[in-house]
Amino acid sequence: MNTVLMGNRPAQAQSAPAIAIRNLDFWYGENHALRGISLDFPTRQVTGMIGPSGCGKSTLLRILNRMYDLYPGQRAMGEVLFDGRNILSPGIDVNVLRSRIGMVFQKPTPFPMSIYDNIAFGVRLHERLSRAEMDQRVENVLRRVALWGEVKDRLNASAAALSGGQQQRLCIARTIATRPEIILLDEPTSALDPISTARIEELLDELKQEFSIAIVTHNLQQAARCADRVAFFYMGELVEVDTADKMFTAPHEKRTQDYITGRFG
Amino acid sequence: MSAQKVQAGATDGWQRGGAQAVRRRIVERLVSVLCCIATVVVLFLLFSILWTLVTRGAAGLSLSTFLHSTAAPGSGGGLANAIVGSCEQTLLAALLGTPIGMLTGVYLSEFSHDGKIVSFVRFVSDMMLSVPSILVGLFVYLMVVEPAGHFSGMAGTLALAILFIPIVVRTTEDMLHLVPRAMREAAYALGAPGWRVIVSICLRAARGGIMTGILLALARISGETAPLLFTSLGNLNWSTNLNAPMASLPVIIYQYAGSAYDDWVQMAWTGALLITVAVLATNIFARWWLSRNGTASS
Repeated sequence: MNTVLMGNRPAQAQSAPAIAIRNLDFWYGENHALRGISLDFPTRQVTGMIGPSGCGKSTLLRILNRMYDLYPGQRAMGEVLFDGRNILSPGIDVNVLRSRIGMVFQKPTPFPMSIYDNIAFGVRLHERLSRAEMDQRVENVLRRVALWGEVKDRLNASAAALSGGQQQRLCIARTIATRPEIILLDEPTSALDPISTARIEELLDELKQEFSIAIVTHNLQQAARCADRVAFFYMGELVEVDTADKMFTAPHEKRTQDYITGRFG
Repeated sequence: MSAQKVQAGATDGWQRGGAQAVRRRIVERLVSVLCCIATVVVLFLLFSILWTLVTRGAAGLSLSTFLHSTAAPGSGGGLANAIVGSCEQTLLAALLGTPIGMLTGVYLSEFSHDGKIVSFVRFVSDMMLSVPSILVGLFVYLMVVEPAGHFSGMAGTLALAILFIPIVVRTTEDMLHLVPRAMREAAYALGAPGWRVIVSICLRAARGGIMTGILLALARISGETAPLLFTSLGNLNWSTNLNAPMASLPVIIYQYAGSAYDDWVQMAWTGALLITVAVLATNIFARWWLSRNGTASS
Protein backbone atom coordinates (compact mmCIF):
# COMPACT_ATOMS: atom_id res chain seq x y z
CA MET A 1 0.00 0.00 0.00
CA ASN A 2 2.64 2.49 1.02
CA THR A 3 4.56 2.97 -2.14
CA VAL A 4 7.87 4.06 -0.75
CA LEU A 5 10.22 4.02 -3.66
CA MET A 6 13.75 4.77 -2.71
CA GLY A 7 17.06 5.19 -4.40
CA ASN A 8 15.90 5.06 -7.98
CA ARG A 9 14.83 8.63 -8.49
CA PRO A 10 17.27 10.99 -10.19
CA ALA A 11 16.40 14.02 -8.05
CA GLN A 12 16.89 12.11 -4.84
CA ALA A 13 19.80 12.61 -2.49
CA GLN A 14 22.51 10.02 -2.73
CA SER A 15 23.44 10.24 0.95
CA ALA A 16 21.52 8.67 3.86
CA PRO A 17 18.19 10.34 4.59
CA ALA A 18 18.05 12.95 7.37
CA ILE A 19 15.09 11.17 8.89
CA ALA A 20 13.83 7.69 8.09
CA ILE A 21 10.37 6.70 9.28
CA ARG A 22 9.61 2.99 9.49
CA ASN A 23 6.17 1.46 10.16
CA LEU A 24 4.92 4.37 12.20
CA ASP A 25 1.51 4.25 13.85
CA PHE A 26 -0.03 7.05 15.87
CA TRP A 27 -3.05 7.34 18.16
CA TYR A 28 -4.98 10.27 19.58
CA GLY A 29 -6.49 8.28 22.44
CA GLU A 30 -8.56 5.67 20.63
CA ASN A 31 -8.31 7.39 17.28
CA HIS A 32 -5.79 5.63 15.04
CA ALA A 33 -4.54 8.70 13.18
CA LEU A 34 -1.55 7.33 11.26
CA ARG A 35 -1.20 3.80 9.93
CA GLY A 36 2.01 2.07 8.92
CA ILE A 37 3.85 5.13 7.61
CA SER A 38 7.31 4.59 6.11
CA LEU A 39 8.93 7.63 4.60
CA ASP A 40 12.39 9.12 4.10
CA PHE A 41 13.28 12.78 4.37
CA PRO A 42 16.35 13.27 2.16
CA THR A 43 19.18 15.41 3.47
CA ARG A 44 19.18 19.05 2.36
CA GLN A 45 16.02 18.73 0.35
CA VAL A 46 12.51 20.05 0.83
CA THR A 47 9.94 17.34 1.42
CA GLY A 48 6.39 18.58 0.97
CA MET A 49 3.48 16.88 2.68
CA ILE A 50 0.04 17.34 1.16
CA GLY A 51 -3.42 15.91 1.67
CA PRO A 52 -6.92 16.91 2.77
CA SER A 53 -7.58 18.24 6.29
CA GLY A 54 -7.32 15.53 8.92
CA CYS A 55 -5.24 13.23 6.75
CA GLY A 56 -2.43 13.09 9.32
CA LYS A 57 0.24 15.23 7.67
CA SER A 58 0.51 17.71 10.56
CA THR A 59 0.34 14.82 13.00
CA LEU A 60 3.34 13.26 11.31
CA LEU A 61 5.26 16.52 11.50
CA ARG A 62 4.53 16.83 15.21
CA ILE A 63 5.90 13.34 15.81
CA LEU A 64 9.27 14.29 14.36
CA ASN A 65 10.06 16.67 17.24
CA ARG A 66 8.01 14.73 19.81
CA MET A 67 5.54 17.62 20.14
CA TYR A 68 2.83 15.08 20.92
CA ASP A 69 4.62 14.40 24.23
CA LEU A 70 2.95 17.51 25.59
CA TYR A 71 -0.46 15.90 25.38
CA PRO A 72 -1.29 12.83 27.41
CA GLY A 73 -3.25 10.20 25.52
CA GLN A 74 -1.28 10.68 22.32
CA ARG A 75 1.17 7.89 21.49
CA ALA A 76 3.34 6.74 18.63
CA MET A 77 4.68 3.29 17.74
CA GLY A 78 7.29 2.37 15.20
CA GLU A 79 10.64 3.83 14.31
CA VAL A 80 11.73 7.34 13.46
CA LEU A 81 15.45 7.15 12.82
CA PHE A 82 17.48 10.31 13.18
CA ASP A 83 21.25 10.37 13.53
CA GLY A 84 21.42 6.68 14.32
CA ARG A 85 18.73 6.58 17.00
CA ASN A 86 15.01 6.01 17.19
CA ILE A 87 13.67 9.33 18.47
CA LEU A 88 10.55 7.61 19.81
CA SER A 89 12.56 5.64 22.35
CA PRO A 90 12.23 6.79 25.96
CA GLY A 91 15.95 7.51 26.40
CA ILE A 92 15.86 10.46 24.00
CA ASP A 93 16.32 13.91 25.57
CA VAL A 94 13.45 15.75 23.89
CA ASN A 95 14.95 19.17 24.59
CA VAL A 96 18.12 18.27 22.74
CA LEU A 97 16.05 16.63 20.01
CA ARG A 98 13.99 19.79 19.57
CA SER A 99 17.12 21.90 19.32
CA ARG A 100 18.28 19.64 16.47
CA ILE A 101 14.89 19.42 14.76
CA GLY A 102 13.33 22.88 14.77
CA MET A 103 9.73 23.76 14.03
CA VAL A 104 7.89 26.73 12.56
CA PHE A 105 4.14 26.99 13.11
CA GLN A 106 1.12 28.03 11.12
CA LYS A 107 0.59 31.31 12.93
CA PRO A 108 3.57 33.52 13.73
CA THR A 109 4.15 33.23 17.48
CA PRO A 110 6.54 35.96 18.59
CA PHE A 111 7.35 35.66 22.29
CA PRO A 112 6.37 38.60 24.52
CA MET A 113 9.86 40.08 24.47
CA SER A 114 12.16 42.09 22.25
CA ILE A 115 13.15 41.05 18.74
CA TYR A 116 16.66 40.36 20.00
CA ASP A 117 15.49 38.24 22.92
CA ASN A 118 13.12 36.27 20.71
CA ILE A 119 16.19 34.89 19.00
CA ALA A 120 18.46 34.77 22.03
CA PHE A 121 15.87 32.84 24.06
CA GLY A 122 16.33 29.60 22.14
CA VAL A 123 20.10 29.97 21.84
CA ARG A 124 20.53 30.52 25.59
CA LEU A 125 18.74 27.23 26.26
CA HIS A 126 21.51 25.25 24.64
CA GLU A 127 24.66 27.36 24.45
CA ARG A 128 26.58 29.81 26.58
CA LEU A 129 27.61 32.65 24.35
CA SER A 130 29.35 35.90 25.19
CA ARG A 131 27.46 39.10 24.49
CA ALA A 132 29.48 39.66 21.32
CA GLU A 133 28.94 36.11 20.08
CA MET A 134 25.22 36.40 20.74
CA ASP A 135 25.05 39.73 18.89
CA GLN A 136 26.82 38.04 16.01
CA ARG A 137 24.41 35.09 16.04
CA VAL A 138 21.35 37.34 16.12
CA GLU A 139 22.61 39.48 13.27
CA ASN A 140 23.59 36.43 11.28
CA VAL A 141 20.19 34.71 11.46
CA LEU A 142 18.31 37.95 10.87
CA ARG A 143 20.36 38.45 7.72
CA ARG A 144 19.61 34.89 6.64
CA VAL A 145 15.87 35.55 6.76
CA ALA A 146 16.28 38.99 5.14
CA LEU A 147 14.96 40.79 8.20
CA TRP A 148 18.15 42.52 9.35
CA GLY A 149 17.67 45.63 7.24
CA GLU A 150 14.14 46.09 8.55
CA VAL A 151 14.82 45.62 12.25
CA LYS A 152 18.49 46.42 12.90
CA ASP A 153 17.62 49.78 14.45
CA ARG A 154 14.97 48.42 16.77
CA LEU A 155 16.28 45.11 18.06
CA ASN A 156 15.08 46.02 21.54
CA ALA A 157 11.56 46.83 20.39
CA SER A 158 8.76 44.36 21.07
CA ALA A 159 8.46 41.63 18.45
CA ALA A 160 4.67 41.99 18.58
CA ALA A 161 4.98 45.27 16.67
CA LEU A 162 6.24 43.55 13.52
CA SER A 163 3.92 42.68 10.63
CA GLY A 164 2.69 39.11 10.21
CA GLY A 165 5.20 38.31 7.49
CA GLN A 166 8.05 39.82 9.48
CA GLN A 167 6.96 37.89 12.55
CA GLN A 168 7.01 34.63 10.64
CA ARG A 169 10.49 35.37 9.30
CA LEU A 170 11.52 36.15 12.88
CA CYS A 171 10.15 32.76 13.92
CA ILE A 172 12.23 31.09 11.21
CA ALA A 173 15.28 33.07 12.33
CA ARG A 174 14.61 31.99 15.92
CA THR A 175 14.43 28.37 14.79
CA ILE A 176 17.66 28.37 12.78
CA ALA A 177 19.47 30.25 15.56
CA THR A 178 19.64 27.06 17.64
CA ARG A 179 21.45 25.46 14.68
CA PRO A 180 19.10 22.57 13.94
CA GLU A 181 19.78 20.02 11.25
CA ILE A 182 16.17 19.75 10.21
CA ILE A 183 13.40 22.33 10.02
CA LEU A 184 9.75 21.33 10.21
CA LEU A 185 7.25 23.83 8.83
CA ASP A 186 3.54 23.42 9.55
CA GLU A 187 1.65 25.47 6.94
CA PRO A 188 4.02 28.39 7.53
CA THR A 189 2.38 30.75 5.07
CA SER A 190 -1.33 30.02 5.51
CA ALA A 191 -1.79 33.11 7.68
CA LEU A 192 0.24 35.40 5.40
CA ASP A 193 -0.47 37.63 2.42
CA PRO A 194 0.85 36.65 -1.05
CA ILE A 195 3.92 38.90 -0.90
CA SER A 196 5.01 37.63 2.50
CA THR A 197 4.34 34.10 1.26
CA ALA A 198 6.59 34.60 -1.74
CA ARG A 199 9.39 35.86 0.50
CA ILE A 200 9.12 32.82 2.78
CA GLU A 201 9.17 30.50 -0.24
CA GLU A 202 12.32 32.19 -1.56
CA LEU A 203 13.81 31.77 1.87
CA LEU A 204 13.09 28.04 1.89
CA ASP A 205 14.94 27.65 -1.37
CA GLU A 206 17.98 29.21 0.21
CA LEU A 207 17.71 27.41 3.55
CA LYS A 208 17.75 23.99 1.94
CA GLN A 209 21.42 24.54 1.08
CA GLU A 210 22.05 23.99 4.76
CA PHE A 211 19.01 22.32 6.31
CA SER A 212 16.75 19.39 5.55
CA ILE A 213 13.21 20.73 5.38
CA ALA A 214 9.80 19.12 5.86
CA ILE A 215 6.84 21.32 5.02
CA VAL A 216 3.14 20.64 5.46
CA THR A 217 1.02 22.70 3.11
CA HIS A 218 -2.56 23.00 1.93
CA ASN A 219 -1.40 24.95 -1.06
CA LEU A 220 -0.58 22.59 -3.91
CA GLN A 221 1.12 25.30 -5.94
CA GLN A 222 3.36 25.92 -2.98
CA ALA A 223 4.25 22.24 -2.80
CA ALA A 224 4.98 22.25 -6.52
CA ARG A 225 7.13 25.38 -6.24
CA CYS A 226 9.09 24.59 -3.11
CA ALA A 227 9.33 20.86 -2.63
CA ASP A 228 11.83 18.50 -4.19
CA ARG A 229 9.76 15.54 -3.13
CA VAL A 230 6.09 15.43 -2.28
CA ALA A 231 4.24 12.93 -0.08
CA PHE A 232 0.48 12.59 -0.36
CA PHE A 233 -1.46 11.52 2.72
CA TYR A 234 -5.03 10.37 2.85
CA MET A 235 -6.99 9.21 5.91
CA GLY A 236 -3.91 8.46 7.97
CA GLU A 237 -2.05 6.62 5.26
CA LEU A 238 0.82 7.61 3.04
CA VAL A 239 -0.59 7.07 -0.42
CA GLU A 240 2.35 8.04 -2.56
CA VAL A 241 5.66 9.84 -2.46
CA ASP A 242 7.68 10.95 -5.43
CA THR A 243 9.51 13.93 -6.90
CA ALA A 244 7.36 17.02 -7.15
CA ASP A 245 7.46 16.88 -10.95
CA LYS A 246 6.17 13.34 -11.11
CA MET A 247 3.56 13.83 -8.41
CA PHE A 248 1.96 16.75 -10.19
CA THR A 249 2.23 15.43 -13.73
CA ALA A 250 2.03 11.65 -13.56
CA PRO A 251 1.00 10.28 -10.15
CA HIS A 252 0.67 6.51 -9.87
CA GLU A 253 -2.29 6.39 -7.55
CA LYS A 254 -5.80 7.40 -8.53
CA ARG A 255 -6.40 9.04 -5.15
CA THR A 256 -3.38 11.27 -5.65
CA GLN A 257 -4.64 12.25 -9.07
CA ASP A 258 -8.12 12.99 -7.71
CA TYR A 259 -6.67 15.19 -4.99
CA ILE A 260 -4.29 17.24 -7.12
CA THR A 261 -6.96 17.79 -9.75
CA GLY A 262 -9.25 19.10 -7.02
CA ARG A 263 -11.81 16.33 -7.03
CA PHE A 264 -11.83 16.12 -3.23
CA GLY A 265 -10.20 17.68 -0.21
CA MET B 1 -31.29 49.38 -17.16
CA SER B 2 -32.31 53.03 -17.01
CA ALA B 3 -31.83 55.21 -13.96
CA GLN B 4 -35.61 55.65 -13.61
CA LYS B 5 -36.18 51.93 -13.33
CA VAL B 6 -33.58 51.62 -10.60
CA GLN B 7 -35.22 54.43 -8.65
CA ALA B 8 -38.69 52.90 -8.93
CA GLY B 9 -37.42 49.53 -7.72
CA ALA B 10 -35.70 51.12 -4.74
CA THR B 11 -38.84 52.92 -3.62
CA ASP B 12 -40.81 49.65 -3.47
CA GLY B 13 -38.02 47.97 -1.57
CA TRP B 14 -37.99 50.55 1.22
CA GLN B 15 -41.65 49.78 2.03
CA ARG B 16 -40.67 46.29 3.10
CA GLY B 17 -41.72 45.16 6.58
CA GLY B 18 -44.64 47.57 7.12
CA ALA B 19 -46.03 47.51 10.67
CA GLN B 20 -43.40 45.05 11.83
CA ALA B 21 -40.64 47.48 10.93
CA VAL B 22 -42.36 50.29 12.79
CA ARG B 23 -42.70 48.12 15.91
CA ARG B 24 -39.04 47.18 15.68
CA ARG B 25 -38.03 50.82 15.63
CA ILE B 26 -40.19 51.58 18.68
CA VAL B 27 -38.78 48.66 20.67
CA GLU B 28 -35.26 49.71 19.76
CA ARG B 29 -35.86 53.26 20.93
CA LEU B 30 -37.49 52.01 24.16
CA VAL B 31 -34.61 49.70 25.04
CA SER B 32 -31.99 52.37 24.48
CA VAL B 33 -33.92 54.85 26.65
CA LEU B 34 -34.15 52.27 29.46
CA CYS B 35 -30.41 51.63 29.22
CA CYS B 36 -29.70 55.34 29.49
CA ILE B 37 -31.95 55.72 32.55
CA ALA B 38 -30.26 52.78 34.30
CA THR B 39 -26.84 54.24 33.57
CA VAL B 40 -27.84 57.64 34.94
CA VAL B 41 -29.19 56.05 38.15
CA VAL B 42 -25.98 54.10 38.71
CA LEU B 43 -23.77 57.10 38.01
CA PHE B 44 -25.91 59.29 40.28
CA LEU B 45 -25.55 56.85 43.18
CA LEU B 46 -21.82 56.54 42.62
CA PHE B 47 -21.21 60.24 42.45
CA SER B 48 -23.44 61.04 45.40
CA ILE B 49 -21.41 58.60 47.50
CA LEU B 50 -18.17 60.17 46.30
CA TRP B 51 -19.53 63.69 46.81
CA THR B 52 -20.64 62.96 50.39
CA LEU B 53 -17.29 61.37 51.14
CA VAL B 54 -15.28 64.23 49.73
CA THR B 55 -17.29 67.05 51.32
CA ARG B 56 -17.55 65.42 54.76
CA GLY B 57 -14.14 63.78 54.74
CA ALA B 58 -12.11 66.71 53.46
CA ALA B 59 -13.36 68.90 56.31
CA GLY B 60 -11.33 66.90 58.82
CA LEU B 61 -8.29 66.49 56.64
CA SER B 62 -5.18 68.25 57.88
CA LEU B 63 -1.52 67.61 58.43
CA SER B 64 -2.17 66.27 61.91
CA THR B 65 -4.32 63.51 60.40
CA PHE B 66 -1.11 62.01 59.12
CA LEU B 67 1.15 63.01 62.02
CA HIS B 68 -0.79 62.11 65.16
CA SER B 69 -2.30 58.90 66.44
CA THR B 70 -5.90 58.55 67.50
CA ALA B 71 -6.73 60.36 70.73
CA ALA B 72 -9.56 60.70 73.24
CA PRO B 73 -12.64 62.63 72.14
CA GLY B 74 -12.12 66.38 72.16
CA SER B 75 -8.34 66.22 72.27
CA GLY B 76 -7.56 66.36 68.54
CA GLY B 77 -5.29 63.61 67.31
CA GLY B 78 -5.05 62.02 63.87
CA LEU B 79 -5.13 58.73 62.06
CA ALA B 80 -1.40 58.05 61.72
CA ASN B 81 -1.52 54.78 63.67
CA ALA B 82 -4.46 53.53 61.60
CA ILE B 83 -2.88 54.56 58.29
CA VAL B 84 0.40 52.85 59.12
CA GLY B 85 -1.41 49.81 60.55
CA SER B 86 -3.54 49.46 57.43
CA CYS B 87 -0.55 49.81 55.12
CA GLU B 88 1.52 47.35 57.12
CA GLN B 89 -1.16 44.67 57.31
CA THR B 90 -2.32 45.05 53.70
CA LEU B 91 1.14 45.07 52.17
CA LEU B 92 2.35 42.15 54.28
CA ALA B 93 -0.78 40.21 53.35
CA ALA B 94 -0.07 40.92 49.68
CA LEU B 95 3.56 39.91 50.10
CA LEU B 96 2.46 36.67 51.74
CA GLY B 97 -0.40 35.98 49.36
CA THR B 98 1.13 36.85 45.99
CA PRO B 99 3.62 33.96 45.71
CA ILE B 100 1.15 31.42 47.12
CA GLY B 101 -1.64 32.65 44.89
CA MET B 102 0.48 32.84 41.77
CA LEU B 103 2.01 29.40 42.25
CA THR B 104 -1.42 27.88 42.81
CA GLY B 105 -2.72 29.64 39.69
CA VAL B 106 0.21 28.28 37.69
CA TYR B 107 -0.52 24.81 39.04
CA LEU B 108 -4.18 25.02 38.06
CA SER B 109 -3.45 26.31 34.58
CA GLU B 110 -0.31 24.44 33.60
CA PHE B 111 -0.67 21.08 35.33
CA SER B 112 -4.26 20.51 34.38
CA HIS B 113 -3.71 16.90 33.38
CA ASP B 114 -3.89 15.97 37.08
CA GLY B 115 -7.67 16.13 36.43
CA LYS B 116 -9.27 15.45 39.81
CA ILE B 117 -6.81 17.25 42.09
CA VAL B 118 -6.88 20.31 39.87
CA SER B 119 -10.65 20.57 39.80
CA PHE B 120 -10.76 20.04 43.56
CA VAL B 121 -8.21 22.81 44.20
CA ARG B 122 -10.06 25.09 41.79
CA PHE B 123 -13.35 24.37 43.55
CA VAL B 124 -11.90 25.16 46.97
CA SER B 125 -10.24 28.33 45.71
CA ASP B 126 -13.47 29.52 44.08
CA MET B 127 -15.34 28.80 47.28
CA MET B 128 -12.83 30.88 49.24
CA LEU B 129 -13.54 33.74 46.84
CA SER B 130 -17.12 33.92 48.08
CA VAL B 131 -16.65 33.07 51.76
CA PRO B 132 -18.00 35.94 53.91
CA SER B 133 -14.98 37.79 55.20
CA ILE B 134 -16.22 37.69 58.78
CA LEU B 135 -15.88 33.89 58.68
CA VAL B 136 -12.23 34.31 57.75
CA GLY B 137 -11.84 36.58 60.76
CA LEU B 138 -13.45 34.00 63.04
CA PHE B 139 -11.26 31.26 61.59
CA VAL B 140 -8.06 33.17 62.26
CA TYR B 141 -9.36 34.09 65.70
CA LEU B 142 -9.76 30.42 66.55
CA MET B 143 -6.50 29.32 64.95
CA VAL B 144 -4.16 32.15 65.97
CA VAL B 145 -5.63 34.65 68.40
CA GLU B 146 -7.07 32.21 70.91
CA PRO B 147 -4.00 29.95 71.16
CA ALA B 148 -1.75 33.02 71.45
CA GLY B 149 -4.00 34.58 74.02
CA HIS B 150 -4.00 38.07 72.44
CA PHE B 151 -4.97 39.97 69.32
CA SER B 152 -2.15 40.83 66.93
CA GLY B 153 -1.29 42.54 63.66
CA MET B 154 0.06 39.20 62.48
CA ALA B 155 -3.38 37.62 62.86
CA GLY B 156 -4.92 40.50 60.91
CA THR B 157 -2.33 40.08 58.17
CA LEU B 158 -3.10 36.39 57.98
CA ALA B 159 -6.84 36.99 57.68
CA LEU B 160 -6.28 39.52 54.87
CA ALA B 161 -3.89 37.11 53.10
CA ILE B 162 -6.58 34.40 53.16
CA LEU B 163 -8.92 36.81 51.36
CA PHE B 164 -6.15 37.90 49.01
CA ILE B 165 -4.97 34.50 47.80
CA PRO B 166 -8.06 33.19 45.94
CA ILE B 167 -8.33 36.41 43.91
CA VAL B 168 -4.74 36.05 42.74
CA VAL B 169 -5.25 32.33 42.05
CA ARG B 170 -8.21 33.10 39.83
CA THR B 171 -6.61 35.93 37.86
CA THR B 172 -3.33 34.04 37.42
CA GLU B 173 -5.16 31.01 36.09
CA ASP B 174 -7.43 33.06 33.82
CA MET B 175 -4.56 35.11 32.42
CA LEU B 176 -2.45 32.00 31.76
CA HIS B 177 -5.38 30.43 29.91
CA LEU B 178 -5.29 33.42 27.56
CA VAL B 179 -1.72 32.64 26.51
CA PRO B 180 -2.13 30.96 23.10
CA ARG B 181 -1.26 27.28 22.93
CA ALA B 182 0.80 28.00 19.83
CA MET B 183 3.11 30.26 21.85
CA ARG B 184 3.78 27.53 24.41
CA GLU B 185 4.37 24.99 21.64
CA ALA B 186 6.76 27.36 19.90
CA ALA B 187 8.80 27.61 23.09
CA TYR B 188 8.80 23.85 23.60
CA ALA B 189 9.78 23.43 19.95
CA LEU B 190 13.00 25.36 20.63
CA GLY B 191 13.90 22.76 23.25
CA ALA B 192 12.83 24.71 26.32
CA PRO B 193 12.04 22.64 29.43
CA GLY B 194 8.58 23.02 30.97
CA TRP B 195 9.52 25.32 33.84
CA ARG B 196 11.29 27.63 31.42
CA VAL B 197 8.24 27.84 29.18
CA ILE B 198 6.07 28.73 32.17
CA VAL B 199 8.43 31.31 33.66
CA SER B 200 9.92 32.95 30.57
CA ILE B 201 7.00 32.71 28.16
CA CYS B 202 3.63 32.14 29.85
CA LEU B 203 4.02 34.24 33.00
CA ARG B 204 5.74 36.89 30.96
CA ALA B 205 2.92 37.01 28.44
CA ALA B 206 0.37 37.15 31.25
CA ARG B 207 2.23 39.59 33.49
CA GLY B 208 0.04 42.59 32.74
CA GLY B 209 -3.13 40.77 33.70
CA ILE B 210 -1.64 39.11 36.76
CA MET B 211 -0.27 42.43 38.01
CA THR B 212 -3.70 43.96 37.57
CA GLY B 213 -5.24 41.10 39.55
CA ILE B 214 -2.78 41.64 42.38
CA LEU B 215 -3.52 45.37 42.52
CA LEU B 216 -7.28 44.78 42.47
CA ALA B 217 -6.94 42.21 45.25
CA LEU B 218 -4.90 44.76 47.20
CA ALA B 219 -7.67 47.31 46.74
CA ARG B 220 -10.23 44.77 47.89
CA ILE B 221 -8.48 43.81 51.16
CA SER B 222 -7.56 47.36 52.05
CA GLY B 223 -11.21 48.07 52.76
CA GLU B 224 -11.97 44.92 54.74
CA THR B 225 -13.22 45.45 58.29
CA ALA B 226 -14.81 42.20 59.43
CA PRO B 227 -11.71 39.99 59.28
CA LEU B 228 -9.75 42.54 61.33
CA LEU B 229 -12.28 42.89 64.16
CA PHE B 230 -11.37 39.55 65.76
CA THR B 231 -7.75 39.49 64.73
CA SER B 232 -5.83 42.75 64.96
CA LEU B 233 -8.65 44.35 66.96
CA GLY B 234 -7.42 47.93 66.72
CA ASN B 235 -5.04 49.96 68.81
CA LEU B 236 -5.48 53.50 70.05
CA ASN B 237 -1.73 54.09 70.16
CA TRP B 238 1.03 54.09 67.63
CA SER B 239 2.26 50.52 67.08
CA THR B 240 4.01 48.70 64.29
CA ASN B 241 4.53 45.57 66.35
CA LEU B 242 3.00 42.60 64.53
CA ASN B 243 2.76 40.70 67.80
CA ALA B 244 0.47 43.28 69.37
CA PRO B 245 -3.00 44.61 68.48
CA MET B 246 -2.76 46.97 65.51
CA ALA B 247 -4.93 49.85 64.35
CA SER B 248 -6.39 50.01 60.86
CA LEU B 249 -8.55 52.50 58.96
CA PRO B 250 -11.61 50.26 58.43
CA VAL B 251 -11.77 49.33 62.12
CA ILE B 252 -11.36 52.98 63.18
CA ILE B 253 -14.20 53.91 60.84
CA TYR B 254 -16.35 51.17 62.33
CA GLN B 255 -15.63 52.29 65.91
CA TYR B 256 -15.73 56.06 65.38
CA ALA B 257 -18.65 56.39 63.01
CA GLY B 258 -21.06 55.00 65.59
CA SER B 259 -19.70 57.04 68.50
CA ALA B 260 -21.44 59.95 70.17
CA TYR B 261 -18.56 62.42 69.69
CA ASP B 262 -18.65 64.79 66.73
CA ASP B 263 -14.88 64.87 66.26
CA TRP B 264 -14.71 61.06 66.17
CA VAL B 265 -17.48 60.92 63.55
CA GLN B 266 -15.57 63.51 61.57
CA MET B 267 -12.43 61.37 61.87
CA ALA B 268 -14.35 58.36 60.53
CA TRP B 269 -15.37 60.33 57.43
CA THR B 270 -11.80 61.38 56.87
CA GLY B 271 -10.62 57.78 57.21
CA ALA B 272 -13.25 56.65 54.71
CA LEU B 273 -12.10 59.30 52.26
CA LEU B 274 -8.47 58.17 52.64
CA ILE B 275 -9.34 54.52 51.91
CA THR B 276 -11.49 55.45 48.93
CA VAL B 277 -8.79 57.63 47.42
CA ALA B 278 -6.17 54.90 47.95
CA VAL B 279 -8.40 52.22 46.39
CA LEU B 280 -9.34 54.49 43.50
CA ALA B 281 -5.68 55.32 42.87
CA THR B 282 -4.77 51.62 42.92
CA ASN B 283 -7.55 50.80 40.47
CA ILE B 284 -6.59 53.56 38.09
CA PHE B 285 -2.95 52.55 38.29
CA ALA B 286 -3.91 48.90 37.60
CA ARG B 287 -5.89 49.87 34.51
CA TRP B 288 -3.14 52.12 33.26
CA TRP B 289 -0.63 49.33 33.84
CA LEU B 290 -2.76 46.84 31.93
CA SER B 291 -3.27 49.15 28.97
CA ARG B 292 0.45 49.83 28.83
CA ASN B 293 1.67 46.27 29.19
CA GLY B 294 -1.09 44.75 27.13
CA THR B 295 -2.99 41.52 27.57
CA ALA B 296 -1.71 37.99 27.20
CA SER B 297 -1.72 37.83 23.45
CA SER B 298 0.33 40.87 22.60
